[in-house]
Amino acid sequence: MEAMTHGGSANDEDLVASEYLTFTLGSEEYAIDILKVQEIRGYEQPTLIANAPPFIKGVINLRGIIVPIVDLRIKFNLGKIEYTPFTVVIILNVAGRVIGAVVDSVSDVFSLTRAQIRPAPDFSGTFDTKYILGLATVDTRMMIVTDIERLMTSADMALIDSASE
Amino acid sequence: MTIDMSQFYQVFFEESAEHLAAMEGLLLGLDIENPDSEQLNAIFRAAHSIKGSAGTFGFTDLAETTHILENLLDRIRKQELGLRADMVDAFLESGDLLRGMLEAHQGRGEVAPSQVEAICSRLRQLSADQVAPAVSESVAACGDVSGVQPAAGAKRIFDIQFVPTDVSARGGGVANFLDELRSLGALEILNQPASDMNNVGYWQLRLVTESEQEEFSDQIDFIAENSAWRVVEESMGNDDSGVFGIFGDSPGAPEEDQGYGFFAPLDSVVNSVAAAQGDSADDQSYGFFDPLPRGANSPLPVAEVLSDDSDGYGFFAPLPSPAPALSLAEEGEGFGFFAPIAPVAAPETPVSSVVSPPSPSVQVPADKKTSEPVARVAKPATQSAAAGDSSIRVSVEKVDQLINLVGELVITQAMLLQTAGQIQQGAPERLINGLAQLERNTRDLQESVMSIRMMQISFVFSRFPRVVRDLSGKLGKQVELKTSGETTELDKGLIERIADPLTHLIRNSLDHGIELPETRVAAGKNPIGTITLKAYHQGGNVVIEVGDDGAGLPRNKILAKARERGLPVSDQMTDAEVFSLIFEAGFSTADQVTDVSGRGVGMDVVRRNIQSMGGRVEIESMVGVGTRMTVRLPLTLAILDGMSIAVGDQTYILPLSYVMESFQPQIGDIKTLSNQARVIQVRGEYLPVVVLHELFNIKSRSSDFTQGIMVVINADGITAALFVDALVGQHQVVIKSLEANYRRVQGISGATIMGDGHVALILDVSAIAGMAKTNMQKAG
Repeated sequence: MEAMTHGGSANDEDLVASEYLTFTLGSEEYAIDILKVQEIRGYEQPTLIANAPPFIKGVINLRGIIVPIVDLRIKFNLGKIEYTPFTVVIILNVAGRVIGAVVDSVSDVFSLTRAQIRPAPDFSGTFDTKYILGLATVDTRMMIVTDIERLMTSADMALIDSASE
Repeated sequence: MTIDMSQFYQVFFEESAEHLAAMEGLLLGLDIENPDSEQLNAIFRAAHSIKGSAGTFGFTDLAETTHILENLLDRIRKQELGLRADMVDAFLESGDLLRGMLEAHQGRGEVAPSQVEAICSRLRQLSADQVAPAVSESVAACGDVSGVQPAAGAKRIFDIQFVPTDVSARGGGVANFLDELRSLGALEILNQPASDMNNVGYWQLRLVTESEQEEFSDQIDFIAENSAWRVVEESMGNDDSGVFGIFGDSPGAPEEDQGYGFFAPLDSVVNSVAAAQGDSADDQSYGFFDPLPRGANSPLPVAEVLSDDSDGYGFFAPLPSPAPALSLAEEGEGFGFFAPIAPVAAPETPVSSVVSPPSPSVQVPADKKTSEPVARVAKPATQSAAAGDSSIRVSVEKVDQLINLVGELVITQAMLLQTAGQIQQGAPERLINGLAQLERNTRDLQESVMSIRMMQISFVFSRFPRVVRDLSGKLGKQVELKTSGETTELDKGLIERIADPLTHLIRNSLDHGIELPETRVAAGKNPIGTITLKAYHQGGNVVIEVGDDGAGLPRNKILAKARERGLPVSDQMTDAEVFSLIFEAGFSTADQVTDVSGRGVGMDVVRRNIQSMGGRVEIESMVGVGTRMTVRLPLTLAILDGMSIAVGDQTYILPLSYVMESFQPQIGDIKTLSNQARVIQVRGEYLPVVVLHELFNIKSRSSDFTQGIMVVINADGITAALFVDALVGQHQVVIKSLEANYRRVQGISGATIMGDGHVALILDVSAIAGMAKTNMQKAG
């Protein structure tokens, strides 16, 4: 496709490229704004939180900060749920909070312009389209560009008290 | 060059609030019959400081009101006016008003100008009430020194010396000043700078006038630096006695404007004490050493310097009197200045002076007899001076950051220690020693950092005399407030939050507890009721008791009221349970709603506030004898004494303050109610059982009760048995918020980080006990 070329009609804003971190959940590849990512670390056994939904694995100590860990694979029912030394946790910094997200693997950092992100077709599924900014294609890989902040602060994730939609 | 004053506003607000608080405390402590001049001076100083800084920052309304207040205070402290109770009331009210004005300037609330006017006119009236120029004691004492306070209308001679600033000298300020003086009386210029000096230089004037000194002393302040001028009132016709430089006791003497310490050379010790007390009583007294008078008949100048106030610095009075003179520098922020000793100083006059800047207590050569008291008295002065200098204002944020960092350090240190312990074949001894040292140091560090946030509870207690005074007056009751343990230290965060609940408890005791004097007399009690406010440490808690010797809580009335409101009560309830009903929302036994209390809001808020601080409140009461409410608070919000317990593979922290006991249940100890709720009998009492692994839905090692431990917990008057797998140990844990990045979890009050770096959750015992209670109610 024309992923790496710029359309002549694009306005300036479309040309401004942002960096995106991509990770995989099962066979799907997701891209999130790299500025929301604080760090990437290995999985460690978190402390259970009583009566929490299954995708909330618990809390860990991140240098003195108590950080909840969300397993996105469980949340979206993707990939094999196993915890190995290679399981990756992306520590996100969204809405003034620190949240860890468990993913299958972290793959790349891409620079994408607005023009490269195409609107996603409406589809119903576990992954609500309102958290999807669009789809981007690099080479032959399709990436789902996700509004991670909106996702993590949503009532679906049950991460925040009285989450407002 | 413009300076943005607004950056200093906050400091001004804080300082003024402190001054107001100090003033209020002093006013309440005043003995109206026999006011302590020291206290009066302190009150005056507080008002004066507010006026001064308000003027500087351009808050004219504050400055004007305080000025009127200050005038009245000034007259009282000079004993021109007798202190009366209504004056104290007026002062307290104006203090409130000033506080309101301060807040209004900070954008909180408003003050009606009519209120200000009302207070001002009241103060003015009080000031005008007794105009008779009562001669102050100190004046009387110094009477033989003469000329201290000449009768109004008498001619007075002022010797004025100053060195004008360049600006004022060139700008015509000096000329204006001279004109001004000429308008007041006969002016004689004794010494003036050479004509080519443009008025810059040493001036000496002699003014014969009927006017008061303050009529021109203000102007001098404008043309000369603080330390560069001096006004000496000479007593007429008394020069030959060697009296020189007597200042101050004339009303509104330079004390008004940054008073300067003045020394009266005196004839006798007694006189000098009295005079100096009057003289140097001021805010910022600058000690001046009077040059020895011409013709002083070579006395033995032994000045004893008694600095008996906060930043008092030594003052000297080289005195022409043969007897040792005591100059009492009673004031704050005085600075010792040494005027050049006049050349006529007699050779045998050893007025060598030593000033040591950090604690400027001035050593005066004195004979043995007098040197002893000098040492004795000067010591506290230097101590308090040091204390005053060594405190800094630091934002709470910075302190909290420091506390957090130390918390991290403690955790890291614990992790290191654990790792070292796990090293095969033992770690090298040097490493172990180093770690032990580290542990000690971190603990010390943590303690001292935590102590930064600690404040004395007197910070809260100090407001209650006022509350009691106002309220008892309003209710027509006679109440005495006794406080003890004011020095008990408590975390700043708690101090701020405990004030409201305590105020409420005290109001409650006053309104409902203490009876009217007639009732008390009829009951054979002292008509004056007593409210005791006590704070002390007990275990890891701070206990605050609010007690009264009033009527006590009427058990039957509370029960009746509870039934009326449809609360589940029975006559079998224990007193503690019945009394705790008054903490229910909307519960009030007051027959009529007053503006003090009786609306039923309040006690529930009190309990909620105290609980949110991790504390609890208990009531003990006996009809006719009194009531005591005991508030227990943790020492700090940041650290908790906890017991770690294991459930399955998880570790939880149980706040130790809630734990009563623990035991291993025997087979058959546990019974069920309606096959739902379980109870266990502990010493004849059936306690609801809370099984933690069921509550939290986690896998337990065994569901056999005999394999685990029952921990008896008590929160909010509910006792329950918590079943856990095992007790692990006891720790001091640093409380971390779970809500910062996650959300509230039922049954969990927070989290902490254990020595191995893992997170452990802290159990919310109140919530768990509450669950136990609801379970029982469902079952029963």
